[in-house]
Amino acid sequence: MTPPETAPSTPPRNPGPSWGYRFMRLCDRIVPEPLFRPARAVGTWIALLNMPVQRRHSRDYLRIVFRREPTHREIFRHFFAFEEVLMLKLRVANGRPHRGRLADGAPDFHRFLDSAKPALLGTFHVGHSDLIGFILGGQEKRRVSMIRQRVANSHDTEKLGQLFSQWVSFIWVNEGESLLFALKEAVSAGDSIALKCDRLEFSAKTEAFDFLGARRAFPFTIYHLALIFDLPVLLTVAVPGAPGESIVHSAPRWTPDASLARAQNIVRARAHFQGFLRQVETLLRAEPYWWFNFLPLNPEVSAA
Amino acid sequence: MPDPLIAQLKVLVVETLRLEDVTPAEIPDDEPLIGGGLSLDSIDALELVVRLEKEFGIKIASSEESRTALASIKTLAAFIRERADPSRLPS
Repeated sequence: MTPPETAPSTPPRNPGPSWGYRFMRLCDRIVPEPLFRPARAVGTWIALLNMPVQRRHSRDYLRIVFRREPTHREIFRHFFAFEEVLMLKLRVANGRPHRGRLADGAPDFHRFLDSAKPALLGTFHVGHSDLIGFILGGQEKRRVSMIRQRVANSHDTEKLGQLFSQWVSFIWVNEGESLLFALKEAVSAGDSIALKCDRLEFSAKTEAFDFLGARRAFPFTIYHLALIFDLPVLLTVAVPGAPGESIVHSAPRWTPDASLARAQNIVRARAHFQGFLRQVETLLRAEPYWWFNFLPLNPEVSAA
Repeated sequence: MPDPLIAQLKVLVVETLRLEDVTPAEIPDDEPLIGGGLSLDSIDALELVVRLEKEFGIKIASSEESRTALASIKTLAAFIRERADPSRLPS
């Protein structure tokens, strides 16, 4: 990751009105869900109409996944899926019980939970993945430092951070050069580090991988950090399960091999990341609306 | 007579960061290590800091210290001399 040259005086903000999160939390307390959910759907239509840029990116992404032009209703469903996860985060931040359950075939993640050793946890803006760090803290009592971009109105994240402050802390990627030292301190303190591996912003190291029908650039910093700190990498995404539950999918862990040259470790790391991207793509092909990057899809990289 | 610590640091920079197109002798004493001709990024800087801490038993605790230390090979040598146990320095 690359800290900005100078920290911006005002952080970026999520779209929507400044009072939006508080209003949603208030309505959630006083409006019954059978009324509130349709109201949120109407709100999502309004948001959709007022966010032409995000709408375009949603359309571009869905066109690739569906291999045809998406309908307005499908774009709405994409927006609404995101809204429902945002609502879930606000509810969890308000203290609603929520549990994580490991999907079958994730023995390495099980081993990570059973051990006291830290790891680098790579995740994506997919489904319930924003909750993984909080699940690890609140449910598994693991110290996690989450690398996030601070935005002016990330009310959901701030509330979650307060609720799980005993276990979860934040390292803000867009708050200047202290990022790298905060990261070093967190590793020294034995924390696991959670970082997103799908958005290129602030990523110092990128590589090209096959994803959604093309070679696309993805952040690759996590593996360089693994080599620097000699920590394993666990890639995970969480998706909706039964009510009150997220299902955590994880790939086999990747561990730096000290007996190999760095270049060989990087080759192994590329194969590891590609393997997990295939897993993510399979999930998205089945549930396209879980992709929560309303940004340009990772850019295509020419084979040359 | 070349400074042995400066010579060691240049080798360490090339080795740690696996600089293929640069030899230790080609690293100037006075040029910035980060953002200079070596084209190093923030992760390279972090890797270098971690390696220096291990090698010399020092602590680079903040971005300000890192900026001072990595301003050039010469300032890095001065920084390490000031903080490291003399037994860890080349004679």
